[in-house]
Amino acid sequence: MDFPSSLRPTLFMSGPLGLSSVPNLSFMCSWRDALTLPESQPQSAENVAPHLARDLRWEPETPGPFPLLPPSPDPWDPGPTAHDLLFRGGHQSCRRPRATLDVTEQLSRFLWDHGDIAFGPLGNLMQENFKLEGARSRSKTKTVVSVKRLLQDLGGHQPWGCPWAYLSHRQRRFSILGGPVLGGPVASLLGELLKEELAGRWGQLLLDDAFTGGALAWVPGKMPLVGQLVYPNGGALDRLCFQEVSVTPGSDPQVLGDPGHIQLRGPVRQVVTRTVQGEALLAVRSDYHCAVWKVSKQGRPAPLQVLQVEKGATGINLSPHLPGELAVCSRSGAVCLWTPQDGLQQVYKDPETLVFRDPSPWRWADFTAHPRVLTVGDRTGVKMIDTQGPPGCGLLLFRGGAEASCQKGERVLLAQYLGESSPASLSPTLHLICTQFSLYLVDERLPLVPMLKWAHGLPSAPLMAQLLPAPCPGAPRPLLLGGQGGQLQLLHLSGEEVSVPRLAGPPQSLPARTDALSGFPLLEPASQRRLQERLDAPTIGLAAAVPPSASTSGLALFHLSKAGDVFYQHLRLQEGSSFCRDAGLPSDPSPEPHTPTAAAPTPSRTPTPTTASWTPQATAYCSRWLKALLKVPLPPPVWTAPTFSHRHLLGYKEQLQDGGKVLAGLRAAMTQGRLLRQRDVGSFPTAEPPPAPESGPEDELSERLDEAWEGRGADWWRRRQGRSLGLGHQPRRHKRRTQLSSTFSSLSGRWDLSDGPSPPPSPHRTSPVPRPLPPATPHSQGLTQELWTRGVPVERQQTLQDYMARLPSSGLGATSAPPSQASSIRSTPSRQQAPRKKSRMGF
Amino acid sequence: MSDFSGELTRPMAEADQVEKSMLSGTGMSIPWLRKQMETVETGGKKEKDFAKTTSACLGLIQEALLKHQWEKAAEYMHSYFQILEDSDAGKRQAAPEIIWRLGSEILYYHPKSNVETFSTFADRMKNIGVMNYLKISLQHALYLLHHGMLEDANRSLSQAETWRYGEKSSSQDILINLVQAYKGLLQYYTWSKKKMELSKLDEEDYAYGTATQNMRSHSWKTSVNLSALIQIPGVWDPFVKSYVEILYQIVPSHKLMLEFHRILRNSDKEEHHKLGLEVLFAILDFAGCTKNITAWKYLAKYLKQTLMGNHLAWVQDEWRSRKNWWPSFHFSYFWAKNDWTEDKALACEKALVAGILLGKGCRYFRYVSKQGHQGLKKKMKRMNRAVKSYSIVDPGL
Repeated sequence: MDFPSSLRPTLFMSGPLGLSSVPNLSFMCSWRDALTLPESQPQSAENVAPHLARDLRWEPETPGPFPLLPPSPDPWDPGPTAHDLLFRGGHQSCRRPRATLDVTEQLSRFLWDHGDIAFGPLGNLMQENFKLEGARSRSKTKTVVSVKRLLQDLGGHQPWGCPWAYLSHRQRRFSILGGPVLGGPVASLLGELLKEELAGRWGQLLLDDAFTGGALAWVPGKMPLVGQLVYPNGGALDRLCFQEVSVTPGSDPQVLGDPGHIQLRGPVRQVVTRTVQGEALLAVRSDYHCAVWKVSKQGRPAPLQVLQVEKGATGINLSPHLPGELAVCSRSGAVCLWTPQDGLQQVYKDPETLVFRDPSPWRWADFTAHPRVLTVGDRTGVKMIDTQGPPGCGLLLFRGGAEASCQKGERVLLAQYLGESSPASLSPTLHLICTQFSLYLVDERLPLVPMLKWAHGLPSAPLMAQLLPAPCPGAPRPLLLGGQGGQLQLLHLSGEEVSVPRLAGPPQSLPARTDALSGFPLLEPASQRRLQERLDAPTIGLAAAVPPSASTSGLALFHLSKAGDVFYQHLRLQEGSSFCRDAGLPSDPSPEPHTPTAAAPTPSRTPTPTTASWTPQATAYCSRWLKALLKVPLPPPVWTAPTFSHRHLLGYKEQLQDGGKVLAGLRAAMTQGRLLRQRDVGSFPTAEPPPAPESGPEDELSERLDEAWEGRGADWWRRRQGRSLGLGHQPRRHKRRTQLSSTFSSLSGRWDLSDGPSPPPSPHRTSPVPRPLPPATPHSQGLTQELWTRGVPVERQQTLQDYMARLPSSGLGATSAPPSQASSIRSTPSRQQAPRKKSRMGF
Repeated sequence: MSDFSGELTRPMAEADQVEKSMLSGTGMSIPWLRKQMETVETGGKKEKDFAKTTSACLGLIQEALLKHQWEKAAEYMHSYFQILEDSDAGKRQAAPEIIWRLGSEILYYHPKSNVETFSTFADRMKNIGVMNYLKISLQHALYLLHHGMLEDANRSLSQAETWRYGEKSSSQDILINLVQAYKGLLQYYTWSKKKMELSKLDEEDYAYGTATQNMRSHSWKTSVNLSALIQIPGVWDPFVKSYVEILYQIVPSHKLMLEFHRILRNSDKEEHHKLGLEVLFAILDFAGCTKNITAWKYLAKYLKQTLMGNHLAWVQDEWRSRKNWWPSFHFSYFWAKNDWTEDKALACEKALVAGILLGKGCRYFRYVSKQGHQGLKKKMKRMNRAVKSYSIVDPGL
């Protein structure tokens, strides 16, 4: 191992992060790296500086990756989004927007959906003070209140979250009196926990460090072109799959046979593989378990040992030096060296973070060039620990601070040892450190001051990185960096024997999984949304294979998404890249004449990026996958509370005089604190189906869209009309019309009642049988008005009208909206607020 | 590239970035927080259109750069200049730095750009937002240097050297030192060029006198320029090449260590001999040195020598910490096979060491000694004998 003959000039600063008011000269832009100074030979000063390859680029063969394996048959739920967690109202300042968690919404959803749990116990206690009908009674010891009127006012249910929802005085009084008693315990017990949970979910949405390192691995097989992809699958990511894939340069990969799988008891978070001394090992990290397998030459995994990590494992890594040696770290701050033969050896333990105090329990461990020295990392820095030395001793390799010109708030997200015993063009002492802003290359022989820094600017957390072998001897090595959001960056690293590692060309971005959208056929909106949602799933694994090939340098890239999808992308080293073409001459002594008046470069030297297009094979893969995806059932909707009309219940009480089975059932349900089910109260003769979670109209819509998409829209309409006629849907339409007409008639002179006929009968009162209520509050003002006018003799109506006209408009004036119109207005928000399925956080 | 790390965008970093991206409670800043929050419609004030278009433009430039679409990036750059008129003072102040970074990156790679274009851009940028004058001058000089224009680079540095703005800050000081150091380096080049010319001249020549004079003045200037910088803590390798001496202490894997071992071996003192053994063992600890045949040869020879000198304890001292991992790290069956096919001489040396340290029964030794090779018969015999007589493993056990 040679030490670099000359290091890049760097200022050494010490201090906390965010301090760097001092110019940082080395790491400004990609070309700055190439400008290392020539050393002593002034004659060759013009030529000695290694030239930056402008046209060094890996070209994707298709515009985006395409699905390689069929989708998992289990439904997938993308989980809560920012939309579900953040407060949507209120005023935000533009300069300092702050994320406010919406505890209120989730809490009220809980109260609404699970009122039985929230209010059941208290309801039980207060049961004897309430009754469903009759007058109230008062005795010395207790007061029994009738809630009949209250329930009548509620009229079914309140449209949730409707800002215009009407409250009667009675309701308001009840809510003021009962609120502190009923709401207090729930809010105080649940609120704190809920807030914690929401903060956790929000933090996870921004940075899900469980998948640090990635859960996809490529195990090279006996033959150079065939290997195994190891990845988790299934809805809970708890099935570890082994899929044999053959990557042939020049054509698409071939999936060989069905995947073998191992069912685990927890979700797989990290999959690591290494081949040391011809022995392939596979290590898997779950939340509380780690396991290691030995993969035989035939590709069969044989379990070696399982380890239980009580506090939760955060990282696992296999030694590149000794077969079967692992480094495991846990949330408790302990780092252990683990060998299946000798068991665990605790190397380091410190619940505190290394450099400054940070609340994150995330820890990481990896190996170094010395088999007995490990790196131990947390959010604040990385330390090298000698396992043979006394406990606690070590040397900081990287410090979140001024030494590396870290920014304020910068934290370590990933640390990785880049050395391998394979023939390397880079020194085997390099470590990669990734933060949310930059990546650093640190040499363990020269700690603290990074050898290279590159501000990656990824719009998500870079949790996966892989240094790939050079496509041909002497060429720069590709370093792949993957963000959780699916973004990929490729850096070209070179640094032969005695030179400092540097960027050999400008870094490039690679297509993300979302770029695959153009490879799919156009779909109708619902399916398109589903597809997009699937493609947007976070990336949790990244693996690459470099198939050896004589002619072209190719790179097979596999992505794994949180939905369990494995996507594939093939990259080709740009023809113009001189590295492999010139039979591997890394530092061509005269790459180009540096004439001061550099003539415009020939276009052949800097070819414009060719636009990749979809191959028929890739689109075939896409459509096959899509077909299977659309067959996967949607995740079951989160449980929604059945709503039933209280008024309806009251009505039945009168009808069911025979023994009061309903009442008994209700009582029984209340005492047991469980939900009242239909079978508890016997069969309702005209049982009204509870309002569905408002998916009816949407289903009809999508059905219609489906048909229209197929060009059978007219047929559908005719069929539908026929069906509704046949099924006797006429009354409903009629009802709608009367509602509408009542609106219009009321607009044209509502009070002109002299010509006799009463106003069009309100559907609320005319239907003799209980019917589904519109999901709205009956407008009691309007109702009252109608009652008034009805009970007044015709001859006195004019007087009344005059009187009313004199009243201030705030009263029962003619300015108030007519009842049906008002109710239709009020019902709209509730319809728009169709329960969103995913926002319930699994309550 | 996209975040324009802390020090460069100090005003922006304070006003915007940090507070907008801080994850409450953890102190960690999340650059993608804003994007997440934008997916949620809040009832608050919306970002101004101006800010929206500029940030969108910045995103497009970055995307184009990462896709190596230099022409496209240059086109977007035209529109991005509007940021110089931002009403937000913080953003306006940070803008020149961003423009310089993106602009220089584009111009470095753009197929139609040349040195003149770059120089024009650099000269303009030096005077927009004076705070960057020194940094841009320095980078400009490096660019020129890289293109072989030593004199222009020198001119640019000389101009920067005399530049002052406002109160002298520490960062300005360091930058000026650095500018001077680079200038010194350029002078050093001229000096050594002159030296070369001088060596060709005849001593009697009249020109010789002037040339020596010239050379002396140059070396003096150089030393003055360099000495200021090396006072500041940092890595100044190109300027000062004296770091090699300290390597012996801090980098045990360095190949000079083998030489160090030789010196120690030939020393008269006994503790040096012991240290010599330690150095050899330490070199072979490193993954990068496992196939260093010289190291193995030295170790085999030195082990024999040490054991002959009745220093079994020294060997045992070194072996104690390694005996649980060296066998599988160095002397596994895999390596025996691998080494034998790749380098028979290495395999023999390693086998000898393995035999001494682990006894005749060890896999490595057994494998190598069983590979009867015609040319190596004699060597094998010797190896077997050596193992028999020196092995530290008690055959009785």
